[in-house]
Amino acid sequence: MITYLDVIKGIHTGRICSERDFDLRIFAPRLKEVLKAHEIKYDPENPVPDDDGLADDVWKAAKDFYCGVGTYCLDTERVVKFDENEIAQTLKTAPREFVFGEGKERRTLIQRMPEDQTPPWCFLGAAGAAVSSEANLLSLVQGYAEIPVINSLTSPALTTVDGMRIVGGSPLEIYGAIRAIGLARQALSRAGKPGLPIMNCISTASSAIATIAASQPQFGLRPSDGWLCGTLAEMKVDYGVLSKGAYLLSWGANVCSETAPVLGGYAGGPEGTALVNAAYSILGTVIQKASYQLSFPIHSNFQCNTTRNTLWAISLSGQGIARNASLPVFMLGYVASGPMTEMVLYETAAWVIAAVASGTHIEAEGVCKATHVDHFTPMEPGFAAEVAYAATGIKRSFANELVKTLLSKYEDKIKDAPTGKRFGECYDMTTGKPSEDYLRLYSKIKKELEDMGLEFKY
Amino acid sequence: MPQKQDILDRLRSGVISGDEEAVRLATQEAIAKNVDPIEIVERGLIPGVAEVGAKFERMEAYLTDMMMSADAMKAGMSIVLTKIPREKIRTQGTVVLGTVKGDIHEIGKSILGALLTAAGLDVLDVGCDVPASVFAKKAEESGAIIIGASSLMTTTLPGQKDIVDYLNSTGKRGKYSLLVGGGPTSAQWAEEIGADGYAETATDGVKLALRELEEKRRK
Repeated sequence: MITYLDVIKGIHTGRICSERDFDLRIFAPRLKEVLKAHEIKYDPENPVPDDDGLADDVWKAAKDFYCGVGTYCLDTERVVKFDENEIAQTLKTAPREFVFGEGKERRTLIQRMPEDQTPPWCFLGAAGAAVSSEANLLSLVQGYAEIPVINSLTSPALTTVDGMRIVGGSPLEIYGAIRAIGLARQALSRAGKPGLPIMNCISTASSAIATIAASQPQFGLRPSDGWLCGTLAEMKVDYGVLSKGAYLLSWGANVCSETAPVLGGYAGGPEGTALVNAAYSILGTVIQKASYQLSFPIHSNFQCNTTRNTLWAISLSGQGIARNASLPVFMLGYVASGPMTEMVLYETAAWVIAAVASGTHIEAEGVCKATHVDHFTPMEPGFAAEVAYAATGIKRSFANELVKTLLSKYEDKIKDAPTGKRFGECYDMTTGKPSEDYLRLYSKIKKELEDMGLEFKY
Repeated sequence: MPQKQDILDRLRSGVISGDEEAVRLATQEAIAKNVDPIEIVERGLIPGVAEVGAKFERMEAYLTDMMMSADAMKAGMSIVLTKIPREKIRTQGTVVLGTVKGDIHEIGKSILGALLTAAGLDVLDVGCDVPASVFAKKAEESGAIIIGASSLMTTTLPGQKDIVDYLNSTGKRGKYSLLVGGGPTSAQWAEEIGADGYAETATDGVKLALRELEEKRRK
């Protein structure tokens, strides 16, 4: 079995290679070769494919690809590679169950399967999008925690500390990270769910030093939370991500392998994006010793993943991973549009249905591409959770029809998606309740989904 | 002259397929057969990389195809430029491109770099996690007209403002167009920090850069 120290040794002894050579002479040709050998072809007519053979082929192709390519370390400019048998052994013997949260909110996370009757783990919140104030962070997190089926929180990120803009890598990042955790814990307690795990630790911190500093238990985090340790596009790591891992694994904390293959980037088209996404599951287990994979294949032009081709990549790679990997996988949706628009609910429904029917858990969600400050509310992840429960157990063929209908409602608007309203414009900031207009819109779109045949559970 | 056309076609197709060796050989052959070096560039190398750029916009080609084409074009250029008198070398201009201090996300910047190359600009990629002073120094050294600064995280956005502040403090702000991009950036942010422009996508970034170059020339 490959240990974490084997990995650390590998990044210091592996083959020396420039980053450009890794991208162009190792990664790109191998990807083309493997896609051709396994005959994986994008099918725009079926954004949610219904073919177990194809899903298993993607997984096999991902293994072939990963064994040939390995993982590139930016700091040492070396490729760490292990042989096929070592990788197979590591995948076979990796843990399959991971525990998160405390007290009444303590749960065990395991892999789902396509068309699984078990609801997905609902990892809900803002997906690290930025809030303008501490008051907004408190209100939002309390609102997220009040979503009935929430299993874990994805907290927003602070942009300021005492009015000073947080600068990555500076002492302000450490102050901001510590402050954000304290606020999130406070809001979870207010909602009566103090044991709820925060699974995107620590969204306000980008550097390893801030992450490790703010992870000291006195600031409120526990090993039963989950830490984002982001890989770099594509199949790359650096000292920062591996240092976070060294600290967290020594503490017995849950490491998240955060992976975001870029459609249009090094991963190429939808076929390559699906394959690379599945290969990241292997990297997450072999290199990062992760407890879960948080994946968000993303479109290079639109910075969202609700386009037809990214949905196909999400669905196919999700099925391949769910059917073959031990590492539970979450799909994280990034929608192009903003709060209080019809489009945001159509996009949300589309990616959630595709992901849940394909066997993944969900992190909901990055609203308005998670790039507009305060452009998100608890309504969108709340809607995602309702749709996720409704989509639990449905056939992929039905999911495919639903997703196609939803795509027809927003596909042509992605380029110029409406940014919608800010949190404070569609919520009553005193009561923490959504506006009547937003509630009416929510009910209208829910009714449309019911008319399409989706049965809501609550 | 069918032989000349054949060589130019091979140059173009070599660039499209990203075959550096084929382009190098075809360029040497073209020079040996007295094909005008300007024609080698304008009817062979540039159309090849421009075609890949157009395919990229239609999502029929992807980043690695663009990068390999750009490398193949540069392989031909490095030979042919030695044969063109300095005064006849026409360049659109140089862009210094990088990701700001504290940020190690490189893919968006690399996509833009490849597309700018396809549009005929010289791109000096200064990498990721780059301090403001390095952007300025590289722009000075290369005679760049445009500085492009990417930031993918809210916490590294101030790195773009640092470039504005650095250029202002050294009295060189007016020399360059500073363009910003990346996930959390926006037109409003660009205006707030005093940048010259913002682009949401790489394709928009190319259009913006070409527009800025045109304006700089007119001034």
